[in-house]
Amino acid sequence: MEALKIIISGLLNALFSMAIAPLIEGIMRKLTARIQSRQGPPVFQPYYDLMKLFIKEDIESGDYPLMQRAAAHLAFASALTVTAFLPLGFGTGFSKFGDVIVLIYLLTFCGVCALLAGLAAGSTYSLLGISREMMMMIPLEPILAVALIAGALNSKSFEIATVLNGSVYNSTAFPVSAIIMLIIMLLSIQAFTQRVPFDISEAETEIMDGPLVEYSGPKLALFRYSRMIRLVIYSAIFVHLFVPWGNNLIFPLGFLVFWAKVLLFTVIITVIAATHARYRIDQAIKYFAIMLGVSFIALLLAAIGY
Amino acid sequence: MSLLSKIKETWICLKAGKVTLPYPAKPQPAPERFRGRPIFDASKCIGCAGCANNCPAREILVFDVCQEIRILKYLGRRCTYCGRCADLCPEKAITMSKDYETATNNIADLQQRLELFMSTCQRCGRCFKEPTPLEQLKLKGYRFDDLENDRWIFKSKSYFDQFKVTDDIHIELD
Amino acid sequence: MFRKLFLKFFPRSLWVYHANSGGCNGCDIEVLNVLTPYYDAERFGIKLVASPRHADVMLCQGPAMRSTAAALKRAYEAMPSPKIVFAIGSCACGGGIWHDTYNVIGPVEKIIPVNFYIPGCPPRPEAIIYGVALAMGLVDKKVLPSSLKQEELPIPRYHPEDLEMQGDMLVYKKLEKI
Repeated sequence: MEALKIIISGLLNALFSMAIAPLIEGIMRKLTARIQSRQGPPVFQPYYDLMKLFIKEDIESGDYPLMQRAAAHLAFASALTVTAFLPLGFGTGFSKFGDVIVLIYLLTFCGVCALLAGLAAGSTYSLLGISREMMMMIPLEPILAVALIAGALNSKSFEIATVLNGSVYNSTAFPVSAIIMLIIMLLSIQAFTQRVPFDISEAETEIMDGPLVEYSGPKLALFRYSRMIRLVIYSAIFVHLFVPWGNNLIFPLGFLVFWAKVLLFTVIITVIAATHARYRIDQAIKYFAIMLGVSFIALLLAAIGY
Repeated sequence: MSLLSKIKETWICLKAGKVTLPYPAKPQPAPERFRGRPIFDASKCIGCAGCANNCPAREILVFDVCQEIRILKYLGRRCTYCGRCADLCPEKAITMSKDYETATNNIADLQQRLELFMSTCQRCGRCFKEPTPLEQLKLKGYRFDDLENDRWIFKSKSYFDQFKVTDDIHIELD
Repeated sequence: MFRKLFLKFFPRSLWVYHANSGGCNGCDIEVLNVLTPYYDAERFGIKLVASPRHADVMLCQGPAMRSTAAALKRAYEAMPSPKIVFAIGSCACGGGIWHDTYNVIGPVEKIIPVNFYIPGCPPRPEAIIYGVALAMGLVDKKVLPSSLKQEELPIPRYHPEDLEMQGDMLVYKKLEKI
């Protein structure tokens, strides 16, 4: 019985995030359009986009078609697995069966799948895109790891449910490390979700859509879907870690408060994305090197109890 | 500092509201003196073929069925809406309308075809003294040969035959 | 099973690939004007994508040139079906003013099949939006071929073999008009 409840809540998590991720992306596009003084697409537009992509013909091209297929399916599957692990307001889900290391691993794996996709295509543009993405991933993924581990150090356990409950504020003295990590995560959330100042690797008209150049039809729909779900995942992790107050109320209230905070956070991401220009890769790497240095200082402070 | 300027930029754009024109829902008239699709008026045309002579894209074609009947055909495909035909027409039979909504899925929809009756001289019964302007036009090399298939003799073909510049590909001169 | 349901939403989200095969860039600029806030094309769900493999609609402008004909055909074949091709501007519809120059093969339809034509030199952005709305089924066509005559004449043609004797009169058996 317990097993059945856990499996159902994990499945509900995954299905709910699949249903709501295109809506959040639609709200983002409409808000971007209004900031640019134009009318913009209807709010349900990403649903139409995904539906249209699923009925297109599937052309397998590039050097390694098997890796192409595998990369698309793995990217989508790893994004959905992460949503099964997170507490998204439906109960605990699978969060008793893993720790934060699994989360970090799965999220990095999702990024690696984009690299595999670019390698499978083998054209000049995709190789250029994945080299830029590799350069971006190296200073970027440790920042999320440092935030989660600082929370784990403060609450003395690696379990997802305890770490993701605002554990960064649980330190013995005044939580300096929490404030530093809050500022750093706010400054680098655009790169995790691949939105404008830092969407250097993919979805870019300079290098013809980067790693996704040779994808068409259903596989492209899987990649776009995994990108939308990653937006929801990163917002959910941020909200759980840094603004957890009100998430643990009983079922309807806690659920609504949580999703309202996630929506507010995506509005902030959109406003920053609509008013900035894209950075070059060397500017982005310098920026993230500084962020990484400061986050290691925060990790040290968390280790000694601040 | 730059964050403040971004917020100010957002505020200015939001205050401007929505500037999109609701175009297919509401009609949008073209400005004054806009040159849209040319309309040929058959009741005023005298069949001088001056428009055909001057069209830079060779879009107006003329064919003599017999001494009294002349067919003038305007294919809309290559027209650049320059207005030279309208400027030149002595009877003002061509007007550049303000119509720009000319998208279609069949290119033959843009054709306009006029059949004109040429009157004859009361004394000798012929239309014009030779060399008639039509003969002169034939010398310039754009007369229709086969009206149904849109085939016509084209002067530049002699250029190709003479100098053999395009040996490698087969160009169909339509 | 879901195919019919998804096909209903196909005209609401068209992704566009822009291919210029040798034109003067006038129609280029008008197409980019359609994507600006004033004549917003994104409200119909149209997005500009950078790779023909992601696109449903190909906007061609410029005549088919000898140097870019092979590239245009490759871009058309790289698009997954179902696909639509628009020919924008006089050059793509019929060769334009350059139809008889040394490097031009002709209109774009000599190389790839075209579904919709938008004539103009360059067509106004509203005309391009009108063409897109026509493809989506929102408006009706406004042009038809016209054929006008000045006078309807029965001009008789006289052939010697149609003459026959009736008594002492020569009578024509048939009188036809052209």
